Amino acid sequence: MAVAWQDELDAVRDRWVAAAAQAPDLAGLRSLEVEALGKQGEVTLLVRKVGSIPPEDRRAYGAAAAAVKGQVEQAIEARRQGLERAEVEAELADNSFDETVPAHAALGRAARLGHSHPLSQVQAEVEAVFTSMGFHVLDYPEVESEFDNFEALNIPAWHPAREMQDTFWLEGGHLLRTHTSSGQVRAMHAFRPPFRAIFPGKVYRYEATDASHEHTFHQLEGLLIDRHVSVGHLLDSMRTLLSAILKRDVEVRLRPGYFPFVEPGFELDVQCQLCGGSGCSACKQSGWLELLPCGLVHPQVLRAGGLNPAEWQGWAFGLGLSRLVMMRYQVPDVRLLLSGDLRWLSQF
Amino acid sequence: MIVSWKWISQWVDTQGVDPLEFAKRFTCTVAEIDGVHHWGHGLQGVLVGDVIGVAPHPNADKLRLATVDLGERQVQVVCGAPDLRLGMRVPFVPPGVKLPSGIEVRDGEVRGIKSPGMLASEADLGLSDDHSGLLSLDGVQAPAGTELTQAVDIEDVLYEVDNKSITHRPDLWGQYGVAREVAAMLNKPLQPLDTHVNLGTGAPVDVAVETPLCPRYCCARVAGLTTAPSPVGLRLLLRRLGVRPISNVVDATNLVMLETGNPLHAFDARYVRGGKIRVRAALPGEVVRTLDGQDRSLVPADLVIADGEGPVALAGVMGGGDSEIRDDTREIILEAAAFDAATVRKTAMRVGLRTESSARFEKALDPELAHTAALRFLRTLLDLCPGAHVASDLLDAGDFARQRPPTRVIVSHCDYLRSRLGVSKTEMPDAWIVHCLKGLEFGVDPQPGGELAVRVPTFRATKDIHHAEDLVEELGRHYGYHRIASQAPLIPSRPAYTPGTRLAERKIRAALTLQQGLCEVLLYGFDHDGQRQRLGLAEPGLGRMALRNAISREQGLLRRNLAPNLIAAVEQNLLRGDGKEAPREGLFVGLFELGRVFVPVAGRELPQAERDALDLGLPDLASEPESDPLRQAWLSRLGPEMQSAVQGVLAADNPLPLQPIRLGVAVGERLGGGAEGAKRTRPQKAVSQRVLAEAVAAVQSAVRALGKAELTVSAAADGTDPEQLPAAAPDWATSWRHPQRCGWLRGADGAVIGHVTLLHPDVRHALDVPAEVAVAELNLEALLALPDAAVSGQAPARHPGASVDLTVPVAAGVRQAAVCTAVLADLQAANLPAVAVRYLYEYEAPGGARSLTLRVDCRISERSLTSAELEAVLAAARLSAERHSWEGTRRSAS
Repeated sequence: MAVAWQDELDAVRDRWVAAAAQAPDLAGLRSLEVEALGKQGEVTLLVRKVGSIPPEDRRAYGAAAAAVKGQVEQAIEARRQGLERAEVEAELADNSFDETVPAHAALGRAARLGHSHPLSQVQAEVEAVFTSMGFHVLDYPEVESEFDNFEALNIPAWHPAREMQDTFWLEGGHLLRTHTSSGQVRAMHAFRPPFRAIFPGKVYRYEATDASHEHTFHQLEGLLIDRHVSVGHLLDSMRTLLSAILKRDVEVRLRPGYFPFVEPGFELDVQCQLCGGSGCSACKQSGWLELLPCGLVHPQVLRAGGLNPAEWQGWAFGLGLSRLVMMRYQVPDVRLLLSGDLRWLSQF
Repeated sequence: MIVSWKWISQWVDTQGVDPLEFAKRFTCTVAEIDGVHHWGHGLQGVLVGDVIGVAPHPNADKLRLATVDLGERQVQVVCGAPDLRLGMRVPFVPPGVKLPSGIEVRDGEVRGIKSPGMLASEADLGLSDDHSGLLSLDGVQAPAGTELTQAVDIEDVLYEVDNKSITHRPDLWGQYGVAREVAAMLNKPLQPLDTHVNLGTGAPVDVAVETPLCPRYCCARVAGLTTAPSPVGLRLLLRRLGVRPISNVVDATNLVMLETGNPLHAFDARYVRGGKIRVRAALPGEVVRTLDGQDRSLVPADLVIADGEGPVALAGVMGGGDSEIRDDTREIILEAAAFDAATVRKTAMRVGLRTESSARFEKALDPELAHTAALRFLRTLLDLCPGAHVASDLLDAGDFARQRPPTRVIVSHCDYLRSRLGVSKTEMPDAWIVHCLKGLEFGVDPQPGGELAVRVPTFRATKDIHHAEDLVEELGRHYGYHRIASQAPLIPSRPAYTPGTRLAERKIRAALTLQQGLCEVLLYGFDHDGQRQRLGLAEPGLGRMALRNAISREQGLLRRNLAPNLIAAVEQNLLRGDGKEAPREGLFVGLFELGRVFVPVAGRELPQAERDALDLGLPDLASEPESDPLRQAWLSRLGPEMQSAVQGVLAADNPLPLQPIRLGVAVGERLGGGAEGAKRTRPQKAVSQRVLAEAVAAVQSAVRALGKAELTVSAAADGTDPEQLPAAAPDWATSWRHPQRCGWLRGADGAVIGHVTLLHPDVRHALDVPAEVAVAELNLEALLALPDAAVSGQAPARHPGASVDLTVPVAAGVRQAAVCTAVLADLQAANLPAVAVRYLYEYEAPGGARSLTLRVDCRISERSLTSAELEAVLAAARLSAERHSWEGTRRSAS
């Protein structure tokens, strides 16, 4: 008798082990597993049959049935691992996937890219440089009084800059600021010295537009007020700041320039990047490119700002942000900046 | 302003100085040199010839045959110059010579006659563009056949000085003033101007200066003149400085103007009527005929020179045609004067005559110079015109002659001057400072200890040198700025301030570009007339800042809203494509701008409703009392400088307009069609919904980026808020707003800080492209003034809660937000566990009946909800929703 149930156990085991080894896929293996090991599975029922076995055989039968169940489970598990591996191998061997299909096709909608304006980008970058060096960033009105735009800057009534041909005048006497310098005296009144600040923004000039002239453009004014400020300080500040802004070590050169609100006043040149100073067509063979006007703050301007020139001194400069953008991105026509044309803007 | 190397070398020893190196040095020391030109070079081989025979050309009427004596030989050449005459000295160009003008002379034939060479005009030789006749070499002392370059001192180097860099330096508008700077720069002595002349006696004419605007009027009479062309050297000198030679007398005035910088005028003495000269303001209605033959009507702001009968010259600008020098002029009255700079400039601009003379006077010339120039002119004229003599004394009229202003003295200290440059006493000793200033003709009295009393020379005192800082510049530029060592400023470190609006702009820019995929534009601060008309802005002046001088009539007003220009930009981009997609149906364009708009404070007289609509909730600071808490709260949100600006605005007599920073968003989708007429396409509701949603999403994205609670969009037309509806007729400010499809953007406290709208159909139809467009505009400062969104870090709810959905019929005109808000309020009022009511979707049956599906989220924090509780919520929600859809109908109908 003992042989009879042993043979039956062996036969069942052999059949399921063989079936498991031949299961074609994981789904087949799963149903096979249910048939063999599920609640009503053949192997499960065999194990449960221990109750019908004579008591003296029960221990042996129980052990044998458990061994069979273990072997079938092992066979199924081995087959499962084999099939899973094969699936992974198959995926790994499959080269039919195209990962270069663009997002808009895969997502079913166009990927929309926004663009911030190059002037904003450059302005933010320059602001970050100045902020890192302790400069306040200030923002002043575009419609200005004649006082802040001219008088306070030592530009008296007879000065040509006050004439109609340079300035947009408003009905009622105010004007559109012709330079960000109009913030100088405002800043002196707003902050207790010593301080240093920049004020970027839109400025306006009454002039006909062409590829290199625009009636609306962007500037950035810099102002530093301290107890003692010399040309040597200005040179150091300009070299440091411009190196950070232009992202290279720049050599700067000061030469005389006339602006009523600074004394001495300078045109600041930077060494031409293209030729390194030896002269090329970009710098008209001079080796230098005119970049910005600057100078030591005129005592009259300090007075207009409520500061005593015997106590306080300063430097100031005006940087053309529009020009900086044009230089950096080789923009051929200044009018593109305010055109609102996405064909141009979407490059940035 | 052109500087002649040869001319200044008369007074300064420039031997051994390289003319190109000089230009660089001058640029770094004095003023910018824009260009360097070699003049009169490359004329080797051109000979001086005498015309000894003139015969007609047998085959051509306009050509003649000239026989030219070249000393060793004679040649016959064909010549077309009308002024060819026997006995003339002319430049002869032999065959084989290539001229700088590009002409290569060949040994050829002209109309069948051999012509081995040519006679040259100024243009042929590249000396000017005058090819009307031959360059006359009459009077040149050299044997025939001499090289032209040997016979006439012709070669020069010309420097173009940037006029803008010498506007403050009247002394540099003459060659001699430039020579003075060069002498200091090269540390060489400056030769004096030769002004020695024998004057006559007696007044030249009866002169009276009747205005303080002419501080000095010098005048002399010269008799015994014979007008004739000037010698060739003088003519060429004038040519290369850009002045046309005319005759010896006129040339002498121009020559001395170029030399000294002081313009001169010579009247033909016969035409100074009544023997009188009056310098006075023009009388109303007076007319003067200027040298260019134009009649100029004058105004009392103009200054004239009048004779016994009327104006004969526009002072400082141009002489009169009646008294100009003619061929038969024998006697002249010389005028050398100083005029008020601003007066000359205003007159020159008013009549549109910017002359060499006005350009100089408007720089504020030194009155001392007038006298020097007069003497220099007399000296020059007598040299040019051997028979002439000065027939009067040199009369000196005007306030300046009566009482000279005191010499300006600047008291400073060598230490101060050095400290402003940042150089040490070793680098720049006291003695160097004194030497440098003296070289520039400053009077210096050095005191022991380094104190200085510096007397400013008159030619620098009119405009340029006032303060010690001006001396710093003199020293710095002559010392060489490149020699000054960099020094780091020692300013104390403080936290750097950035205004909240600027920080907000950066965050919004990042959110709208990176999250919403919109493009930032920067547009003009002006509204365009055409655009305004299309948007129905009929009354241009109302509540707007107007320009007195607009670039064009179309751009005469400052923008009060960002929307008009943004709408135009969306339209243009939908029309031409965005550079990636072709302009076709479905093309989406989304733009935003952060910028200022201009709201005149005088706009206060506008009706309240319009003003609210215009200003989008900006607190009316100007009319609120100072103690008003809203005003205080608003001000406290601004940075210190904005605060002072705003306070300044409010305090000033003539306040600046309010210039709030706005965020404007405009999004558009191109509709089908495109052919003319198809612009009237009506967008499908889903398209309109999508476009508006893009605008709202952009606004909310910006709001979230600033850490503010999302704004509510309250429908302006839902009847819940009648006081916010704009004035009855489509007014100018809101004319682009769709009266139904728009909403107010409100903060948590209910204050309106902006609006969002689809375009009014009339405006949409006026676009050049079939499109649905939505715009949103809000006030950045008002947005920043809203409280920050509450943030807390509570643990997630243990019991997840549940939700029920319901669908209710909804009447036309009812907005889902109103229903949601009302239902939630009702449920919470009834103590039901509802936490949110959300819109899921809306269904519109073919007949137009709408139904709304809502979801009610329920939660009790301590436990899970029972199904009985959920059913109670559902029942109550259904009742409430049905009631509110009915209420909405009733209210919007009333």
